[in-house]
Order: sequence, then structure tokens, then C-alpha cells
Amino acid sequence: MAVAEQVVKTTTPPKQKQVGQSYWSLVWWKFKRNRVAVVGGIILLTFYFSFVFIPEFLSPYALNNSSDYTEAGPTRLHFVTPDGKFQLRPFVYGVEKKIDFTTRKRIFIEDTTKIYPIHFFVHGDPYKLFGLIPTDIHLYGVDQATNPDVRVLIMGADALGRDWFTRIMYGGRLSLLIGLIGQIMTLLFGTVMGVMSGYYGGWVDMVIQRTTEFLGAFPDIPLFMALAAAIPSFWSPLAVYFMLTLILSFVRWGGLARQVRGMILSLREREYVLAAKSAGANDNRLMFRHLLPGTMSHVVVIATLSIPGMILAETALSWLGLGLRPPLTSWGVLLQDAATVRAIHNTPWELWTVPFILVTILAYNMLGDGLRDALDPYGSR
Amino acid sequence: MSEQLSEPLLEVKDLHVEFDVRAGIVKAVDGLTMTINRGKTLGVIGESGCGKSVTARAILNMIPKPGKITQGEIIYHRRLRRQGSPQLDDIVDLVKTDPDGTIIRQIRGGEIGMIFQEPMSSLTPVYTAGTHINEAVSLHHLTPVRKVGDQIAEQVMAHRAVTKEEARAIAIDMLHRVGIPKPGERVDSFPHQLSGGQRQRVMIAVALSCEPALLIADEPTTALDVSIEAQILDIMRDLQQSANMAIMFITHNLGVIASMAEEIVVMYMGKVVEQGKVVEIFRDPKHPYTQALLKSIPQLGKKKAGERLASISGMTPDPFNLPTGCVFHPRCPMFMAGRCDKIHPTFKEVSKDHYASCLLYEEA
Repeated sequence: MAVAEQVVKTTTPPKQKQVGQSYWSLVWWKFKRNRVAVVGGIILLTFYFSFVFIPEFLSPYALNNSSDYTEAGPTRLHFVTPDGKFQLRPFVYGVEKKIDFTTRKRIFIEDTTKIYPIHFFVHGDPYKLFGLIPTDIHLYGVDQATNPDVRVLIMGADALGRDWFTRIMYGGRLSLLIGLIGQIMTLLFGTVMGVMSGYYGGWVDMVIQRTTEFLGAFPDIPLFMALAAAIPSFWSPLAVYFMLTLILSFVRWGGLARQVRGMILSLREREYVLAAKSAGANDNRLMFRHLLPGTMSHVVVIATLSIPGMILAETALSWLGLGLRPPLTSWGVLLQDAATVRAIHNTPWELWTVPFILVTILAYNMLGDGLRDALDPYGSR
Repeated sequence: MSEQLSEPLLEVKDLHVEFDVRAGIVKAVDGLTMTINRGKTLGVIGESGCGKSVTARAILNMIPKPGKITQGEIIYHRRLRRQGSPQLDDIVDLVKTDPDGTIIRQIRGGEIGMIFQEPMSSLTPVYTAGTHINEAVSLHHLTPVRKVGDQIAEQVMAHRAVTKEEARAIAIDMLHRVGIPKPGERVDSFPHQLSGGQRQRVMIAVALSCEPALLIADEPTTALDVSIEAQILDIMRDLQQSANMAIMFITHNLGVIASMAEEIVVMYMGKVVEQGKVVEIFRDPKHPYTQALLKSIPQLGKKKAGERLASISGMTPDPFNLPTGCVFHPRCPMFMAGRCDKIHPTFKEVSKDHYASCLLYEEA
């Protein structure tokens, strides 16, 4: 008998461990097949990585590096030299600032005798990569050590001669993060409140639901205005930023709480809740380990689809002058710069902010739709 | 033998459970008295809605709202197991414990285990890579992924101090004991990857993992097919013998109860109508309700073709408007006018260790 067992043991090949096809692996499998959603996800990953982690590297200049290129339009990149030769490496001409006396506008005239080639990984303004590694390498630009006065402004410059593309990237950092951080806080508030509301019922439910109704009944903008006005003006811009995130999530948790509550109301009648209770689980365990996971797929979708709202709210508030203020740079602050008739006429390139906001929000919606389909992996579609 | 040492484990005395719903008060359990002895099996049978499951829930003090235990006591003879110290005995009235308190939560699962009717839905289905929120607020720490094995491991950890690895080993061992093939692999399965029978075994393994003194099995095999039912019953019998565990077996399947239980309680409309040894009740049922129940079992070869199966006439009465006197009288074939509809029968010993509540056995 023992010998036989030995033989069996040695002859059977080592089997691969059977890995359970978990819910999330099914979700991932289905998500991958949805091209639109994957594209949305990739766009967002790119944006977040570029604007949140490495805008210092991607932008040719430091955020507040002002220059003589006041309200200069986008710099033209050239491939053909004045003597008609084509070269693969783009270059820019030096410019001369003049004033057109009929229109009273600054104009920049290209000086075709001065040719500045554009290089990758050039030395420029010093910064710390990830806030840690001191360096001065930038992704592209004209070497600033030798030609400190030449600018490559692919999206033009503002009234202080700052590179607009640089500002968009730094602005994206705050705008994208406020959406994410704010949404995480909303999730915390919303799910905890929703789970408690649905699980306990009775007066707890009453208080929480009436609170969400109360918050929901306020018109958004005046409420934001009131709350934003309450932020002391002497606070540091960063403190204002976090306060704003808190305000945004405070106003928005109600909807999520209601949806979670609804789901918990049905889930709590399931047998496994009873089974867990009869196994000695306490309320916290039942709520957060047995009931909450059942709502997670829904919560993830809601969260993804409402981050754009968060970003837009920040943009709107900053645009109204109630949210972030200079010297902080966010997309809302940038839009505020571009919001005058004069700006639209003289510096239309400042509207470059808009496509970035649009693409971000579209990408979130694409991702959210894909997640919604994928999170129901047993569904027919 | 231990026959004469029938030591009570759980005594239910005059239990009343009422549900105060909008249409009135439903007396789900109405003066129930019974005793479960250590290491023995008590079968509880009756029609749907006669209060079997409510009784089981009352024992764990888990009556759902708007239900309430209005009267009676459930005396639990607790035997605290502590390694290295002498056995401590304690008597707890489960009715008086705080339903959310520590004592009852220690008893639930740890000392009185329960198996439910629906194996399909009694395991938490989506246990996902736990969210940060989830982990931060939950009491226990434990495993990142909810798999079948974790459900057992979790219970072990709640009641005994063991490490995560030990808990996993226990989980695998329990799955092995309830006869799940390849327990080392199955421990990592999600509920939806298991068949109904396997899920029910996992439920049993969960209930048994802390070696409870009492196992309440609430129709544990109703949802399973016959061959798996037989396996499950075998497993329960084996485990009962090895762990000296008492079982309260709730069912409406008379065949199952005959093979499992030593003693039977027959319930009708929240009351015990007959109680006795299983052989006694099957051979010589005293109460007309029990007699009718036994007659309604289809038996192979005993009936001629075309003959109708006996059924109990009438319907279960409206719970808001129970009949006067004996609650069974409108359906009873032995109905005695002027007596059964006026007088409440008392629970009397009709022969040795055989009790029934019927006016047939009372003096006029």
C-alpha cells in the first residue's frame, strides 16, 4: 500500500496549482476586450503619470520662468533651413519683438539668421524629479545654458511670457488630483454612511437620509460659494486646496450613500449575512466584510463616472475665482486667465486648456462605461 | 453505556416568540418546551411555518425584527473549554443575553453552530481583494481574499487563538473531514466554483470547525439531491460520534429524521404536539396530527395503482386567527365536538417517555 502510494506520487507530474478564477480576474478579462475603455484607461494613466509625477521633466521650463516673450503665439517649428535644405531635427528662429503701431499689438518677427536646433534631454531650469532627485534635464527644448533667452513655446505664452504648455501640465497636477482625492473622500463618506444607513435602519437611517436630502437640496454653486468664502484668506494656497477638496466631497457624498444604502437593504436579507451572524460575527464585521464587498462593483463605477464632475467643479469654482487662486496653477485658474474677450482676441492659444479638460473627462467616461460593463462579467454583453 | 447519563445541554422552557406585524400579532412559537441532551440528536418535524426555524433562531437569540421572545427561558449548560485548566460549568439563559453582546457572540458559532437550508446562498459570494475602507474599519485583520477556506479560518480565529497558518491548516483538515476532494486546492475556491453539495459541506465544515457542543441543522439537506443528502447525513453522524456533539435536526422529511434522530419533537402551529423516542413515534404515533403526517408518506409497493396518497385535510389555520381549544381541531379526523374546540389540551405522558397533547388521552 505504502509502496503503491510512493509510486503514484513519483509518477504523477507536479501539477500546476489551480488558481481560482476570481471575480476580479473575470472583470479584467472582460474589460480588456473593450477597446474604447482600454483607450480611456491608457489616456488617463498617461495623463496622471505625466502631469502628476513628471511635469517638471516633460515641460521645457519651470512653472514661473517668465521671459520677454510676452503674449507670444506658439513658436513655429521649422524643418527647412533658409537655404532650402531639409533636416530632420526641428529648429526655431530667434525672434525680435516689435510693436505694430497700427494695431498696437506686440509682434514677434523671426530672425532667419539665428537658428536654434531643438534637442531632447536638454539642460534647463533645475528641479527635483519626484521631489527627490535633483536634476536639470528636460524632455525637449533649446539648450538654456548656451541660449538662455530663446524659448520654444509650442502652445504660446501668457502675459508674463511663461510657457503655456508648461502651465497646463502643472495645472493638470492639481486638477487631476483634486478629482481623485476628492472622490476617494466621497467614497469614504458615502459608503460608510450608506452601509450604516442600510444596515441599522431606524433612526440612523432617518438621520443620514435626511442629511443627504438636505445637502442635495442646496443649489451647488451658492453652497460652494458660501463654503469657499468661509476659507480664511490668510491660509496657504495648499491649505485652501485641501479645504476645497473636502468641500467638494462633503457636498457630493449623498448620492453615493443613497445608492449604497439601497444595495445594502437588499443584501442584508441574504442568507450569508444570517450565516455569518450565526457564526459569531459582530455588526462591524457584517457591515464591512460581508455586505460592503457586494456593493463594491457598483461603487467603483459610480466613483469613476463622478470624478469628471469633481474636476469640472474645481474648474468652475476656480474660474469663478472661488476655488484655487494664483500662485497655484490649475486648469480652472488657467481658464480664468483665458476668460476675457481681450485674452480670446490676443492670446487665443490660452484656450489650449480646454482640449485637455475635454479629453480627461471623455477618457473618464469611456473608462467608467467600460467598467460598468466589465463589472458584470456574467452579463450577456 | 452513556444511555443513562443523558445530561441536558439545552433546555427550552415555555418559549413564546411573537411577531408584532401590522395585521396583528403572530404567535410563531407558543409555549414550546424541549430538552436537548449532550451528544444526542433531537429531530424537530412539522409543516412549513410551524415555528421550527424560529425556534432555532431563538436559541441563538437572533429573532429578526419585529419578532420578540415574550416569555420563557432557554437554559444553556455551558462548558467552557480552556486548555490546561479544569472544566468550568456555567448556566446561561440565552433569552436574557444581549443580542449584540460578547457572550452570545462567543456562543454563536463557537459553542452552538448552525447550518442553514440554502447552501447556495449561505456563503458570502463576492469576497474580493478587500478594499482599503473595508480593512480599515473591520474588527479583524485576516486574509486579503475571501475564499471558502477563509470563511472557515475566520471562524476559528474568532474563537481560538491560532495563527493564520494554523487556521489554514485547520480549514484544509475540516474540508477533508467533510469529504471534499482535494481540500488543499478547494480551500482557495470561491463559492461559485463549488457545487451545491460541496457548498453545503463547506457550511457544515464552518459550523463544525470550532467543535460546537450543539449543532442546529435547519433543513440542511432540503436543497440537495438524494445521493448527496445521504453523504451529508453520513458525515454528520460520523462527526457527531467523534466530537460528542448534540444535533438539533430540523426538517419536514420524515425519512431523514427516522435515520438521524433518537428523539423526535413534532410541532404544529408553534406548539409541541408530540414528543418521544423515534421508534415509538413511528410505530405508535399518538397525536392525530402525527398519525396523519406519517400516513402521508408515499411508500413503494404498499399502495395499489391509482390509489390516492393520504393528505391532511384542510389548510394550516390563519396565524392571526387561531382556532379555539386545540389548534388542530378543524383538521382533526378524531374531532370531538364540544371538547376539542373548547378545551386546550395539556402536554401529558401517554406512555413511558412518550408525550402528546391531545384530549383523546385526557379524562373527560
